[in-house]
Amino acid sequence: MTKRITIDPITRLEGHGKIEIFLNDDGDVEQTYFQVPELRGFEQFCLGRKAEDMPNITNRICGVCPEAHHMAATKALDAVFGVEPPSAAKKIRELFYSAFYATDHTTHFYALGGPDFIVGPDAPASERNILGVISKVGVEIGKTVIACRARNHHIIKMLGGRAVHPTAGLPGGWSKSISADERLLIEQTARENIEFALFSLQAFDDLVLKNSGYVELILSDIYRHRTYSMGTVDANGQLNFYDGQVRVVDPDGAEFVQYAPKDYAEHLAETVLPYSYLKYPYLKQVGWKGFEDGNDSGVYAATPLTRLNVSEGMPTPRAQEHYERMYTTFGCAKVSARRYAPIHHRLATHWARTSSCSTPPSACSSWRPTPRSRAMRCG
Amino acid sequence: MAAKPKISMYWASSCGGCEIALVNIHEHLLELADNFDFVFCPCLLDTKRHDIEAMDDGEMLITFFNGALRTSENIEMAHLLRRKSTLLVAFGSCASGGCIPALANLTTREALMETVYGSGPTLDNAVHVVPGPTTTVPEGDLTLPVFERTVGTLASAVDVDYVIPGCPPESAQIWAVIAHVIAGKPLPPKGSVLGAGDKTVCDDCKRVKEEKLVSRFHRTWEIIPDRTQCLLEQGIVCMGIATRSGCGGLCPDVNMPCIGCYGPPEGVRDQGAKMIGALGAIIDVQPMKDMGEARVAAHIAEVLDTIPDLAGTLYKFSLGGSLMQGGLATANAATQATTAESTAR
Repeated sequence: MTKRITIDPITRLEGHGKIEIFLNDDGDVEQTYFQVPELRGFEQFCLGRKAEDMPNITNRICGVCPEAHHMAATKALDAVFGVEPPSAAKKIRELFYSAFYATDHTTHFYALGGPDFIVGPDAPASERNILGVISKVGVEIGKTVIACRARNHHIIKMLGGRAVHPTAGLPGGWSKSISADERLLIEQTARENIEFALFSLQAFDDLVLKNSGYVELILSDIYRHRTYSMGTVDANGQLNFYDGQVRVVDPDGAEFVQYAPKDYAEHLAETVLPYSYLKYPYLKQVGWKGFEDGNDSGVYAATPLTRLNVSEGMPTPRAQEHYERMYTTFGCAKVSARRYAPIHHRLATHWARTSSCSTPPSACSSWRPTPRSRAMRCG
Repeated sequence: MAAKPKISMYWASSCGGCEIALVNIHEHLLELADNFDFVFCPCLLDTKRHDIEAMDDGEMLITFFNGALRTSENIEMAHLLRRKSTLLVAFGSCASGGCIPALANLTTREALMETVYGSGPTLDNAVHVVPGPTTTVPEGDLTLPVFERTVGTLASAVDVDYVIPGCPPESAQIWAVIAHVIAGKPLPPKGSVLGAGDKTVCDDCKRVKEEKLVSRFHRTWEIIPDRTQCLLEQGIVCMGIATRSGCGGLCPDVNMPCIGCYGPPEGVRDQGAKMIGALGAIIDVQPMKDMGEARVAAHIAEVLDTIPDLAGTLYKFSLGGSLMQGGLATANAATQATTAESTAR
């Protein structure tokens, strides 16, 4: 008789899900189903709303990463209105977005996914969480983690209006300018973030890479999926969080396609499965073949790890150093002058998160406000 | 040492922003952990539903319940957590007012399903699969919760002790409530709003308020507003005047209007009705002085036409708890009563 294991709900991430695992007579996994038992229907209730309301409605898709949805909707407004934000507005947006990914990656590494490693995969379920992390690493280090989240949420609130569900996005601009004092605070925050990223890379090194059991787990086939990789790249083909084109590489690392975000519907489609409210996106030009690995399956990943998989190295020297180390640890060969063959071991995503955070936002070095900088609007 | 009281946070139809707002109490998290056993929170902790089912009734001192009631599972969890919690708090705008998910009450379940699974621009669904309650796969049956006809608030299904409004509630306000409980101070009467003020956002907003006389309304991208003057006086539909205080006036601080996420102020049941009253009161009557009745009506209509989508603007966060509840409240209540009956022990 088939034995069934139900994981309900899945935990330490944003969103609802359950997993049904069916075992065969030998006790091995026969089949697994991931179900999303939740639907709100933004596709429908956004219809009839004002275009400019989208940044404030679609950010409620996810309150862990509302900044991403707020920015995507704001950029869609740029396109709808046919306006290009002035340079200062773009830089403020990028600074805001950079504070977001620094705090978001910190949240994930220390509170969501990371506790599996920091507290340990065999630790009791009641300890695999942010509070367990703090007891493991000590209150002082715990406070360093909390301080990183706090200072970046402060920047998000200062530039976006609110720490969760910001509101400053406008077509062709951003409603909040920054003062000279605020600029200094942002710069200081960015510097502290880089120090914190280096600290986190060291913590990853000490807690994970120096533990042969964990390394074996990371490098094992259990968590390996050979899929297409997706990420946003700048004009140099390098990692960018705010702007650029979407690049996709195939499981071997060959560039499959690079397109402007507005052309997404030519490249992506979604299929519907009867047992989940979630729709399943895939690469349209490859096609949906089910949950299959490999070059013939349209399944792709868009994660901190795949952002690096598509990038022609990293834009700054220190990040480049950590990037090189990660790809050589996994034994990846170079597929271009600066890019390595993709890593498909999903647990490496944690490593990629901390490496990305050692990249300062490009806007940081080039932003020089005038004393009378003002709110930017289109028109 | 006596066992610490248990505290939990659950999400129904929600976004996870309430959880991040809780984590954003930052260093106070350590005090929270010192004073409470944080037992359930799918976003942050590995506790499962069966762990909660195994608890004694009333075992948890406080549950912060966020999210609206969209599916039968949301309603089941509302009943389960009601039973297991001494104090059940409707946390955030979804649980208290329906929030963004309740905008779906402006349409029907059928239309929503058709858009999501039948006609989306990137959809590949030629055989028109629509996810449903039971799917038979070779290994057995897979189940999904029922997608209810409409979106309800927490109070539409179960008895609620307190409300903490906001989308999400501001972290300083969340901590103030928790610190109040830790200090052992008495709680206000059941049904009270916690973690917010009893006035309006305007009372906290730093902008200068003078005379409100508006000849037309402006959309946020139509004008660059003065940075110090009241936004409503400048013709931007700022919901501050019909929204409970508590956030400190954050959105007007970055030159954007209040969008009403703290819900109706004290003593007001319907936020949209309050706002429409306020808008009516500020339309400049001077140009209408010598107009005939028909022209006056046309003029007012013209002014109001400068605000498209009144329902989505004035009820963005409170439709589920409003007097009209999207117009489908009766059907919703009937569905929820049936579901509640079938899930009761």
